[in-house]
Amino acid sequence: MSNDDLHDLGLHRRLSAGDRDAFEELYRRYGDAAYGLALRITAQEALAQEVVQDAFLAMWRAPEAFDPARGAFRSFFLSLVHHRAVDAVRREERMRRRGERASNLEPVRGEDVADDVVEGSYLAIRRKQVREALTTLPAEQRQVVELAYFGGYTQSRIAEALGIPLGTVKTRTLAAMRKLRRALPAEE
Amino acid sequence: MSLEQEHERIEELLAGYTLRSLSDADAVEADRLLADHVPSCPSCRQMLADLRSVAGDLALDAEPVSAPDLVWARIRRRLEEDIGPSPRAGRGSSVALAAGIVALVAMGGLSFLSMNRASQAEDERTLALELISLMRSPDVEPVSLDPQGEAPAGSGFVAAAAPDVRRLYLVASVCPEPRPGHAYQLWLGRDGAFTPVGEMFVPSGGKVLIKLTVDVSRFDEVWITEERVGGPPAAPSTAGRSWRAELA
Repeated sequence: MSNDDLHDLGLHRRLSAGDRDAFEELYRRYGDAAYGLALRITAQEALAQEVVQDAFLAMWRAPEAFDPARGAFRSFFLSLVHHRAVDAVRREERMRRRGERASNLEPVRGEDVADDVVEGSYLAIRRKQVREALTTLPAEQRQVVELAYFGGYTQSRIAEALGIPLGTVKTRTLAAMRKLRRALPAEE
Repeated sequence: MSLEQEHERIEELLAGYTLRSLSDADAVEADRLLADHVPSCPSCRQMLADLRSVAGDLALDAEPVSAPDLVWARIRRRLEEDIGPSPRAGRGSSVALAAGIVALVAMGGLSFLSMNRASQAEDERTLALELISLMRSPDVEPVSLDPQGEAPAGSGFVAAAAPDVRRLYLVASVCPEPRPGHAYQLWLGRDGAFTPVGEMFVPSGGKVLIKLTVDVSRFDEVWITEERVGGPPAAPSTAGRSWRAELA
């Protein structure tokens, strides 16, 4: 486990005791990463802000949802943001589909934003590793992972959108995740 | 299916699960595995931890973007509301439900069911406290399941869900005993397609407190129906004794 992960654990312990300073520090550490992620998934500033706000408040109100035995705080929290953003996109899509049937399925893309955020070096290092790992995936595997993770699509919808069998989507997802597991081992 | 093939199938499901991309039937199957198999299988537990770590890392492919100041301002305002004179109080309905749960536990004789085997050791009090804690979250909107068809007027259930931790709680204090040879079945549905969730259950003295491991965010309706024990459950309808609510 890295020193940064240990620092997060300390902040989480203080957060569990109701320490607002620890909460504020967690926001400083992860607020920009969370907002960037939410914005890429939702492609809507107002929705992304709501997602980030709700995710941090959920962490404040139920810090016990994070179990240190199950991995790093960073992974847990960014997954929380991811899940909320995907749910928000699906809710919006469901409402849209009730009113008017979507005829054209385009992946949701984040805005093209300038990389002007100064973030903790450990996040920047891991980000570089993640991007390098993604470049090693065959294009068709990377596509299904990106449509699922950043597009918020279910595997059935990906199969429909790409015109391939659901089984192929599952196979490609599994192959991609296996490669990423090898390239990005969990930090002990 | 060999053990190796079975584990490959599980890995395939968990890969989609950690990306939050499983479709309905696979999501239900993954929820079942997470409750029944994974907690007792060291290799699957490790696999899940690794996949979760990868999914968490994928978030970093998104470019960080400076969050507008108003985001922190809103969070701070909500924090101040939380730790003000009414600490972390939820909406009226949440408070009422929490009070109802306390009363249920205090009355004793509670029919306590946990369909998540990993948490069978939890006692009634722990589960009740967990639920009361959940009620403090502003994101949790309890829903009342109203009687349908032949269900007695005045009977009903309250369901509360925590999508982030994939839990659904079901509470009832006025639940009629099912007819002989029958039990109750919970269903979740979306766009008119329903899936039975968890095992059938019966109340004790009209009281029920159930916890399930399931992500309700994919569903828009919840039903409880009376079913014949041992037979395949029929799709929910108002023909017999049932309760229903729409999910937000």
